[in-house]
Amino acid sequence: MDVNMPGRLFIVEGIDGSGKSTQLDLLSKWLMSQGYLVVFTEWNSSPIVKSTTRRGKKQRLLSPVSFSLIHAADFANRTHAQILPALKAGAIVLADRYVYTAFARDAVRGVSREWLRGVYSFAVMPTLAFYFDVPLPEAIRRISQGRMRLKYYEAGLDLGLSPDPEESFRMYQGLIKAEYDRLAEEFSLVRMDATANLIRQQHEMRELVRPHLGGVMRVDGGGVGEALRETGLIGRYLANRSPGTGLAP
Amino acid sequence: MTELRFYGDRPPGMGAEIVPGRLIVIEATDRAGRSTQVALLKEWLEEQGYAVLDTGLVRSDLAGPGIKRAKEGHTLDPLTLNLFYATDFWDRLERQIVPSLRAGMVVVADRYIFSLIARAALRGVSVQWMEDLYGFALVPDRVIYLDIDVEHLLPRVVGSTGFDYWESGQDFLTSGSVYDSFVEYQRLLLAEFRYLAERHQFSVVDARGSVAEVFRAVRAEVEGVIRDMGTEAGLPGPELIERGSEAPAG
Repeated sequence: MDVNMPGRLFIVEGIDGSGKSTQLDLLSKWLMSQGYLVVFTEWNSSPIVKSTTRRGKKQRLLSPVSFSLIHAADFANRTHAQILPALKAGAIVLADRYVYTAFARDAVRGVSREWLRGVYSFAVMPTLAFYFDVPLPEAIRRISQGRMRLKYYEAGLDLGLSPDPEESFRMYQGLIKAEYDRLAEEFSLVRMDATANLIRQQHEMRELVRPHLGGVMRVDGGGVGEALRETGLIGRYLANRSPGTGLAP
Repeated sequence: MTELRFYGDRPPGMGAEIVPGRLIVIEATDRAGRSTQVALLKEWLEEQGYAVLDTGLVRSDLAGPGIKRAKEGHTLDPLTLNLFYATDFWDRLERQIVPSLRAGMVVVADRYIFSLIARAALRGVSVQWMEDLYGFALVPDRVIYLDIDVEHLLPRVVGSTGFDYWESGQDFLTSGSVYDSFVEYQRLLLAEFRYLAERHQFSVVDARGSVAEVFRAVRAEVEGVIRDMGTEAGLPGPELIERGSEAPAG
């Protein structure tokens, strides 16, 4: 990471159903309770790119390379508008999925690995990158419990692996997982056992994050906490705009 | 016949194939007479019996509308904007240009990756990154560069619709007047184009002359590229006729 940036960047990766978002959410709550300024950023969420992605998905215009480019555009926009400013301001940035998602998904679609690394070379190197490693059958089991119908690209139907969405999804996730295992080696991702007890996983995650928090700015909520304590109020109407809670989900 | 060649790794969905069509690119800064030459070229090719696809930047179904919206608000940072352009470019390459080449058409591209690279370079994006990004682009059969200088450009701009926001670099230059920033921007842009012209062996055409003069030069370049298309299609081309006339004598 750029030495001039006082912030920290922690990211999570893993296939659908690995529980990475749950763990990141728990981490974010812990960091906020410690008074850190936390900024949350999610894969494929930039407003400026969203309409084009929606258009492409709806009309199934996305070939592997356009799929890749549109996600790179989203990531560039978030890096510029969200991640870099937050890191420069000394915040802790938490990213649900990062460049490794593109490296895995696009490589599975036949896009050159070397080209992908070049395109994403502008990305900020994370302080820590967690990879939630889960056996495929377990991930499928978790997903099939909660989810409705699988969408076209989500199920990897564009790859033509199988006409059956569920079968296609299984094969697609299997290919992605193989890519992730390769990436974990290449980029020294911190491998988390995603089958372990949730509390235990979170405990481990915090222990890994803690040593990197030295010197990171804390906010006291702009004095709101103090005002509440003095008056005995609970701040019911402050919930969405408390300065101490950053841009958390 | 032309082999589909790419600047970088062959992108997914593209085989190592020989196609009957030709890809001709016209590059130049704005107001160098590019659109006029493209229009003349298209008509001339069609008169000769060639099927023509003309294509330009920001015309894809996928990303075209998004880019137009984004530019209206001047909201995008250079990397995001260029990735948007790349999405548009690839979409047209995959769904218009390559199918047309396979069908044996002459594709005339009104600007190509070089305009995008030059403009991005001026805004601080690394040329290396841009060239790597466009590794998926087809190497054209010919890139014709309409070479002009700022002195010849100015009267054309003033005499028509005036100075454009983007083509005067007003999104990043800080010169006080639009005139000054136009001059500065175009000088930098033309220098970038000349660098690319050498690096990628453009066919340089002097664009300072009259429309007719420039078109004569453009036509000469294009003739060299399409010469064999008729022969390949099984029609008596210039070579066949020549050989035929020699036959009785020999």
